[in-house]
Amino acid sequence: MNEASLLNNALLVGAMLFSLGLVGMLTRRNLIVMFLSAELMLQGISVSLAAWSRFHDDWGGHILVIFVLTVAACEAAIALVYVLGVFGRTGILDVAAWQSLGNDSMEKQVDRELPSVDTLSPQWPRLTPAGVQPEIDQNELLEREHV
Amino acid sequence: MPFFSTEMSIETLQLLVPLVPFIGAVATIILGRVLGSKAHIPAIASIAIAAAAALVLLAVEVERVREGTTVESAARPDESIVTLWQWAGVESDPVDHNANQVAARPFSIDVTLRLDPLTATMLSLVTCVGLLVAIYSIGYMHDDPGYPRFFALVAMFVFSMTMLVAASNFLIVYVFWEAVGACSYLLIGFWFQKPDAARAAKKAFLVNRIGDFGFAVALFLLFVTYGTLDFHDSLSPNGTILPGILGKTRLMDESGIIGGAIGTAVCLLLLLAACGKSAQLPLHVWLPDAMEGPTPASALIHAATMVTAGVYLITRTAPLFVACPGALVVVSIVGASTAMVAALIATVQNDLKRVLAYSTISQLGYMFASLGTGLALGFTAAIFHLMTHAFFKALLFLGAGSVMHSMGGVIDMRRFGGLRKVMPITAITFLCGSLALAGVAPFAGFFSKDEILTALRTKGWPDTAHHSSHESHAMTGLIAPRMHLTSSVESVTNVDAFPASLEALNTPFVWQILWWMSLITAGLTAFYTFRAFFMTFTGPTRVPHEAGHHAHESPPTMTGPLVLLAIASGVSGIWIFGTQSLSLFLASTPSLAAPSVAGTAVPHVFHLDLAVQGTLASLLGISIAAIAHLGRRSDGPHIERFLGPVGTLFENKFYIDLIYVFVVVRPLEFIARLLAFFDSSVLDGLVDAVGRVPFSLGRVLRSLQSGLLQRYAVAGVVGVLALVLALVWQLRG
Amino acid sequence: MRIPPFSSPGLLLAGAVTLTALALWLLLPRSSSTRAARGVGYVFGTVALVAFIMSGRRMGCIGDEVVFSIVSIVAVVSGAATILTRSPVYSAIWFALSLAGVSGVLLVLGAQFLGVATIVVYAGAILVMFLFVLMLAQPSGLAPYDRVSNEPFLSAVSGAVLLGLLSLVIGRMSLNENFSESSAFAGFVANNPALLERQLLQDDHVARLGSQMFGRHLVSVEVAGVLLLVSLIGSIAIVSRNTESQSKTLLRGGLRDE
Repeated sequence: MNEASLLNNALLVGAMLFSLGLVGMLTRRNLIVMFLSAELMLQGISVSLAAWSRFHDDWGGHILVIFVLTVAACEAAIALVYVLGVFGRTGILDVAAWQSLGNDSMEKQVDRELPSVDTLSPQWPRLTPAGVQPEIDQNELLEREHV
Repeated sequence: MPFFSTEMSIETLQLLVPLVPFIGAVATIILGRVLGSKAHIPAIASIAIAAAAALVLLAVEVERVREGTTVESAARPDESIVTLWQWAGVESDPVDHNANQVAARPFSIDVTLRLDPLTATMLSLVTCVGLLVAIYSIGYMHDDPGYPRFFALVAMFVFSMTMLVAASNFLIVYVFWEAVGACSYLLIGFWFQKPDAARAAKKAFLVNRIGDFGFAVALFLLFVTYGTLDFHDSLSPNGTILPGILGKTRLMDESGIIGGAIGTAVCLLLLLAACGKSAQLPLHVWLPDAMEGPTPASALIHAATMVTAGVYLITRTAPLFVACPGALVVVSIVGASTAMVAALIATVQNDLKRVLAYSTISQLGYMFASLGTGLALGFTAAIFHLMTHAFFKALLFLGAGSVMHSMGGVIDMRRFGGLRKVMPITAITFLCGSLALAGVAPFAGFFSKDEILTALRTKGWPDTAHHSSHESHAMTGLIAPRMHLTSSVESVTNVDAFPASLEALNTPFVWQILWWMSLITAGLTAFYTFRAFFMTFTGPTRVPHEAGHHAHESPPTMTGPLVLLAIASGVSGIWIFGTQSLSLFLASTPSLAAPSVAGTAVPHVFHLDLAVQGTLASLLGISIAAIAHLGRRSDGPHIERFLGPVGTLFENKFYIDLIYVFVVVRPLEFIARLLAFFDSSVLDGLVDAVGRVPFSLGRVLRSLQSGLLQRYAVAGVVGVLALVLALVWQLRG
Repeated sequence: MRIPPFSSPGLLLAGAVTLTALALWLLLPRSSSTRAARGVGYVFGTVALVAFIMSGRRMGCIGDEVVFSIVSIVAVVSGAATILTRSPVYSAIWFALSLAGVSGVLLVLGAQFLGVATIVVYAGAILVMFLFVLMLAQPSGLAPYDRVSNEPFLSAVSGAVLLGLLSLVIGRMSLNENFSESSAFAGFVANNPALLERQLLQDDHVARLGSQMFGRHLVSVEVAGVLLLVSLIGSIAIVSRNTESQSKTLLRGGLRDE
């Protein structure tokens, strides 16, 4: 087998995976999909490392890939815990819901062109009113699109 | 001096005179609210103590002068100096002995109190009149919401004025010159809620600034010329005597005082300062408006004491003026013309206080005219007139205040009349003051005015005067710069041409004109004084409705000072004139004991012809006033209507205020508006533009700070890509 | 031989990059995306993929080429689907498929342990965790934010440009005469004939890897173990800290800023 050609092709695959992961990371607003994209980028790196390892006949690349796997596992664990926490607070997984980093005077990002939801709006069961009508936190209603 | 034998106690007294009113002022400020209607106690007590101390000092000084002076020997300069502390002492450079270098001279400001006949006289005058006015104010100012403030200001004024006359350093004099100005400002604007009062206070302050500017420049010139600002001689650390400007060393030295262009400039600048403070032409415009203040303040500050500061200053610097004959004649011209112009204006005023204000200006003009003669007689006459004027003008003002108090604040003479029945004490004392002001024989004004006329006539008719040869000889002998007159002919560009051109005015003809002006002014004075008296106190009794039904004589705290002042106005003149005590006493003042001044002294003679002329002028004025106003309704037709357009000119004060408005105020306002427009549009626009650049830049850049994580990530990736692209492009091939 | 200008590598690459960018832009979730646009995107993507395959190099053995092509196409296409699918659940499943492709590529590269470990660790553990989280956090259908993208055009262009750059560099490197087999490994082997035998491709590959790991890289392995432990404890701590009351207060504080 032509080692240089193999290297070339494997690196190309790694580059494609990495680029796709990057694009996903930059565009997708779902936190979980963003993490999947990050994993995709790691896959690209792993492929490249394995290819170089093969080319140089050296174990280093393999060892590094193992550590990448380890770190990816740790990262996924921590990150998913945080994602759960975030979801617990805002009720959505939208990364754009967290904009405190921005200038205070800036208008917050509004989804101007959100597509209308295809499905019918859910029909909530109606109960007979009883007792005092609870106060509804308008803020929370704004944030919680899905209950 | 049995009971003040030690120097120490005299020094203590010297210190007490200004210090106690200062403490009184501070105490009034602090305790004013607590004391309420008794707020006058600290002020009056402190001024009384100061007055007592000043009178003791006067006695001490009189005794000392009497011991040192014999009948035949010339006046011996007498002064005692108390140095309180040295302020801003700068040692001279020990290496640089270049005498021309001003910066190398030692500089220090000695805060010193001096005692000499002039100072003692002024101290007594200020504190005594101040005391009487303060007592009068208890009645006049009661129920005023600013009662404590008034007394604090009066005490502060007494402190400033005593410091002004007791200081022995030009800079300290300047400081308290400003301090009395500030007190005057605060008292004119005492009822600052009244827009007129606030405006008048501002006007007085601004006009005084012009004079103060002259004073400041004069100080610079004096320091550059003499290297010191002290009046007195002082000892340097190494034992040599540093001659002061008006110290004995320099005064006894014939060439000690510098004349010529610099000397004349200094004198004219000092004259400008004196004009500002003493309301002389052309800076007199503030004084009539200053009558917006409380009447006691007008009596104390704007009639008796502060306005005489200019007279005091010129008397104090007499040797400087005598060395510059050109400046002297200017002093007289300013004085005589002020006297005449102010008297003319006073003849048509209907506001009682304004009549008195213009009368004050006129009388101060008299004093200046007298000072300008440069004779020992002239200086003592000016101080003499200052004293008598202080008494009778304070009396007249307090009388006017009494009328105003009783009439419910109305001061327009056309609205009341025949008040002699309503307020007899005020009427009689006012009559005394009027007689003194008009210069009727036994009253004080007659004698002082007579001396002034004598001094002027001495200059105008040197041949007929009894002492002319002696005087002119002394002048030519002592004042070298006669040659300026000749040298100016060929070198016009020479700086000496300017004092020489002024000196050209120093001719008998000019002095004759001045004498005639003074004589006419004497007649006018009598006219307007009695016009005011007749309009106010004679004729059918009329009371304005503001007075209500309680038009009455003023309380004893007000009439008491009136009576005292009336007695002083009655007897002080004849006593001082008869005993010659004042002129002999003042002759021992260092400034007046300088040979250049003392050399012009003459034996004291009563000139019958002058007295007759003066009395005739006064009687003529009184007669015209009596014809026009005695027993008539004060709002009836006036004799002044025959004046026609000239009367209008007088009523409008010669349009001097109007001229100022058009020549000074309007152009300045225009420039100010222009600059304000420039400032608000161009400069502010520029500044705003500079401010808006980062703002708009920030607005553009702020949109990048969306807080959206992924936008930041995109930006980062684009940046990295740009870098990598650049790298690849660089490494291509 | 003369290469026709149309098929020159640079032009091919530029075309591939452009098509990739366009395809990604068209296929990324957008509010205004239509079926036709998506069709065009598919076509462009396919063409770009073909272009990239063409830019790959022959490896000599046709069997290897076929296997490598299949697994790499699976990896890349499912990777693309991962980021283009609207539903996060499908994303995860496509990601699993992509992992399978990657593990295939790794196997072709001779990394037996890595290939299997990728499947086991990623597909078996991490991905399942993702799906659990999705189940917890995404109970009701498609969210609006899954159907829009953030800066799709700019991101697609930068991704494509990155890909083009990498391809350019890789291609230039392997085309370099000095680089090819003779230079790096061959020269190395020539100097050391005893090493002619590739140690990575021995039968006891996993054993050798293990000895490497627990021999030369023992400390790193320990550190990695500590890291795993810490992350385990950390995630437990974070979860238990997110108790109801605290999260409520934090929620109020956090939301007030917005």
